[in-house]
Amino acid sequence: MRLSKALLVFRKDWREVGRNWEVLTPIALVPLLFSVVLPLIVISVPGQVNTGTSPEVLIESIMRGAPASVMEMLAGFTEDQQLTYVLFVYMFAPFFLLIPVMASSVIASDSFAGEKERKTIEALLATPLTDGELLFGKMLVSFVPAMAITILSFIAYTVVVDVGTYGLFGALLLPTLEWFLLIFLMTPALSLAAIGLTVLISSRVKGFKEAQQISVVLVIPIIGLFIGQGTGALTLGPPVILALTALLAFFDLLIFRFSVLLFKREKVLTTWK
Amino acid sequence: MSRQLSEIITEGLTKRFNSFTAVDRLSFEVGEGEIFGILGPNGAGKTTTIRMLACLLTPTEGTAFVGGFDVVDDSLKVREMVGILTENPSLYDRLTAMENMEFFAEAYGVSDRQARSKKIRELLEFFDLWPRRDDKVGTYSKGMKQKLAIARALVHDPDILLLDEPTSGLDPRSSKDIRDLMEELSRREGQTILLCTHRLEDAERLCSRVMLINEGGMVTMGTTDELRSQIAGTPILRVRLGEVSEAVVGAVRSMEGVEEVAVDGTTLSVSVYDVDRVTPYLVRSVVMAGGMVQSVEVLEPSLEEIYLKLVVDEDEAE
Repeated sequence: MRLSKALLVFRKDWREVGRNWEVLTPIALVPLLFSVVLPLIVISVPGQVNTGTSPEVLIESIMRGAPASVMEMLAGFTEDQQLTYVLFVYMFAPFFLLIPVMASSVIASDSFAGEKERKTIEALLATPLTDGELLFGKMLVSFVPAMAITILSFIAYTVVVDVGTYGLFGALLLPTLEWFLLIFLMTPALSLAAIGLTVLISSRVKGFKEAQQISVVLVIPIIGLFIGQGTGALTLGPPVILALTALLAFFDLLIFRFSVLLFKREKVLTTWK
Repeated sequence: MSRQLSEIITEGLTKRFNSFTAVDRLSFEVGEGEIFGILGPNGAGKTTTIRMLACLLTPTEGTAFVGGFDVVDDSLKVREMVGILTENPSLYDRLTAMENMEFFAEAYGVSDRQARSKKIRELLEFFDLWPRRDDKVGTYSKGMKQKLAIARALVHDPDILLLDEPTSGLDPRSSKDIRDLMEELSRREGQTILLCTHRLEDAERLCSRVMLINEGGMVTMGTTDELRSQIAGTPILRVRLGEVSEAVVGAVRSMEGVEEVAVDGTTLSVSVYDVDRVTPYLVRSVVMAGGMVQSVEVLEPSLEEIYLKLVVDEDEAE
């Protein structure tokens, strides 16, 4: 496979994506909401965020799975500090799993299902680019911007939270080991899984919007994480993050193998809807 | 035709989708610099044939060589040397004409930036698209898109052009421009062109040879003259007279080489076995019988008539 050719597809698709407001709007607004707007609301209006349960129960539930060192640290905090810590270090974490899933699936829907819907795929398939170069270029255009947005959102979130809570802690709350693992290990694996699934979905739907609508199912496991943390079933601490990343990496391998089998010229032209 | 000089050779080319046979045992050759037409109604198998020759679909049976390369074993080589105009223009509406051309030029391996820019400019100027080069293609008219799609097919100077319905949906002026271009490419650049169309005037005007296909299979193949002679039976001379008299009709009927005479007003339609031999004697007989010949015209069936005769008759026979 020639990397320069895959990058050519990447650049072409990125130009197209960059001019499509249906794609740009969600991938700009959702990260802004999670990394800046929601944290600012929580910081500036204390007590207004309804977590659905009392602070004590929430703290206890989440800390059930937290490392012993964190438990020790929390023991020395006031209740306000404990709640703030739990909210910003643990409760916000699943939001940052939604960002790469949403961004990569929206871009992949446009790149795969959208290209098919706009009837531009045949000329592309007629070029001397190999199936692998086309697939890799298209996956890259879904992955790179999604990860860039996730990392930028993480930086913005860290700045907002640290500035907003420095007065309460007298120290920087973020980044923590959990967040590094989450952003630099788990979200890439999750983003790749979302792209692989969107390729499969794109082969069965007629266009971009339909692919995007079906891709919404990808957020269900993340909602499961929200519920899991809220009920104390699991905590997004380092062991859980590493275990989930390993699981996702295995899933990525499977789904990529399947995507490679699915993304053959003849199949794209004849069996993709 | 010499096989060495043939740019496209197919032998029993077949494509089946489950139980449906889209292309059924097509065998044909297209010579270097030739414009070869595949003519047939919608659904006849034209697009599937082009897709197999462009290595987008794999033949179920049979072989196809394009530019000397096997479409199955050397698909990358075939794709490099072929320029294709697909059924739809397949252009990126959100990109400008320049961006579209740049992308496809690079995809086809035109890596030298200067050479690429020069070629793109040349093509866009030829198609009168240069002033609109930085406009998004989504703002183009259908005719402009079709011209740009043809320009894209030519951006890497392919030896062979596969054109699927190049004038479909275009106004007469744009259709003529594109036909002129194809003639010029074949004549001046020596490009081999395989043209799939259901527009008979395109095939009649451009193609040195035509293959009629229907329901995937070949109905007939040859030059337009050969096809005419296949179905025409005896040629007809249409003789317009000042006035028709029984003497004139009788004189013509009694002539050697005349098969049938029909009268319509002041016009005689005379079926003859040999136009060149009979015409001078026929004019003399009419004049000697007191007739005043105003014009003599040889009627030959158009490609449209051949098409209707062969394709439609075949459908009706089933």
